Amino acid sequence: MKKGKVTMIFTIAIACFALTLVMFMQFKIVNETDITSIETMREEELRTELANWKQKYEETVQQYDATQKKIDEYKTKKENNVETAVLVHDELEQSNILLGKTDLMGEGIEITIKETQEDEYSRVKDSDLITIVNALKYAGAEAISINEERIINMSDIVDIGSSFIKINGQRILAPYVIKAIGNKAYLESSLLGNGGAAEQIKKMGHEVQITQNNNVLIKKYNGDINYKYISD
Amino acid sequence: MTKLKNSIVLGLMCVLLTFGIFLQMRTVENSNVKVSQNYEENNLRAEVLKFKEKYDNEQKLLEKAENQLEKERESATKNNSELEDAEISIKKANKMIGLSEVKGPGVIVTLKDSQKNMANVMNIADFIVHDLDILSVINELKNAGAEAISINDERVVTTSAILCDGNVVSINKEKVGVPFVIKAIGLPEGLAALDRPGGYLQYLRQYDIEASLEKSNEITIPKYNGKLEFSYAKSLESSN
Repeated sequence: MKKGKVTMIFTIAIACFALTLVMFMQFKIVNETDITSIETMREEELRTELANWKQKYEETVQQYDATQKKIDEYKTKKENNVETAVLVHDELEQSNILLGKTDLMGEGIEITIKETQEDEYSRVKDSDLITIVNALKYAGAEAISINEERIINMSDIVDIGSSFIKINGQRILAPYVIKAIGNKAYLESSLLGNGGAAEQIKKMGHEVQITQNNNVLIKKYNGDINYKYISD
Repeated sequence: MTKLKNSIVLGLMCVLLTFGIFLQMRTVENSNVKVSQNYEENNLRAEVLKFKEKYDNEQKLLEKAENQLEKERESATKNNSELEDAEISIKKANKMIGLSEVKGPGVIVTLKDSQKNMANVMNIADFIVHDLDILSVINELKNAGAEAISINDERVVTTSAILCDGNVVSINKEKVGVPFVIKAIGLPEGLAALDRPGGYLQYLRQYDIEASLEKSNEITIPKYNGKLEFSYAKSLESSN
């Protein structure tokens, strides 16, 4: 009698354990399936998503090949100091270009904004310039400056009271001349049209002029570019 | 008596478990119905997943190769102090450009859409987080001396744009959704100025947007996953 009871309890315990295990497994599976993203997408969205991932994959392959090539170059030229120096300096130059430490030239556009409205509410504000810079970046701008003040990765654009704007801590005054290097047609169209950043400023009553140019010159960042809090 | 008690307990447990299992089966069934609607869509989905996986694998390879390149560069330059300086400059630059992962002290800002009942709100758009809100927060962080920033683990680099794309926001052309988790490395006390009275976070809270700021001594910001290369801009400085 007693033995039978023990066996029964044992069996039930095992059954319960198994069931709970299965439940948790299912919970995990449900959690892991990313229902929010591709599961609910329609055909059109899926096509763009696929094109997107394909492009990203191919870009990564290119990056990998380029990195691998550099590794091989370092390996073969290791013994030769002169050749190694060329390699290192090439890489450093590339870094400096991306940091904003070099003057750059290329096709692009120049936007001139003349403030014609004097009152405090309709003046050109920091957020107007931020919106323009953002739109230009979206259109693929590779380098941007405002009144020769280079916009680097950590550049800020802030209103000081309601009298002037500071970029990179430097005071800039109207008229604002914004230069951008990139595909000039894309860059221009990113600002035009209904809702475009240039259109908004025109509506406030200011004068906006956009010119395409094959040789836009953008000066390098004037200050020192360094960090203090990022750990080495 | 004890037998009855045992039976009841066991019975209850069984009912509970069965209930749980049925609930899950229904959930899974429901989501399956939607998924298996269209053969074409399923194929596309499989294809997307395939490329996603290929991309992930390639990223891992790339990461390995980048680490190896760093080592090669280090060993190739260690006998020459001038080259060693250049090598260190490249490493430092990669951290600032966003081409390598960075760690350090800083703050984490979280933005969430308003949880308010929208039935009696005049303009719903006022109560959700917009691209300009994120841009402003980023701009204020830069103003407060941020050295590296990410939004939902998308690194902010010099070509990063932030745009409203329907009801999601795209950063570096990648879609991200609420909550927006913005990480910044810099002096935590300085960056925390974002939360000052009259600051931008307070302004957002007026619209019931949930904005919080948290200081941290150990923040990790991932590297930029895209390609960073200029094709229109040419440097005017001759190499070497």
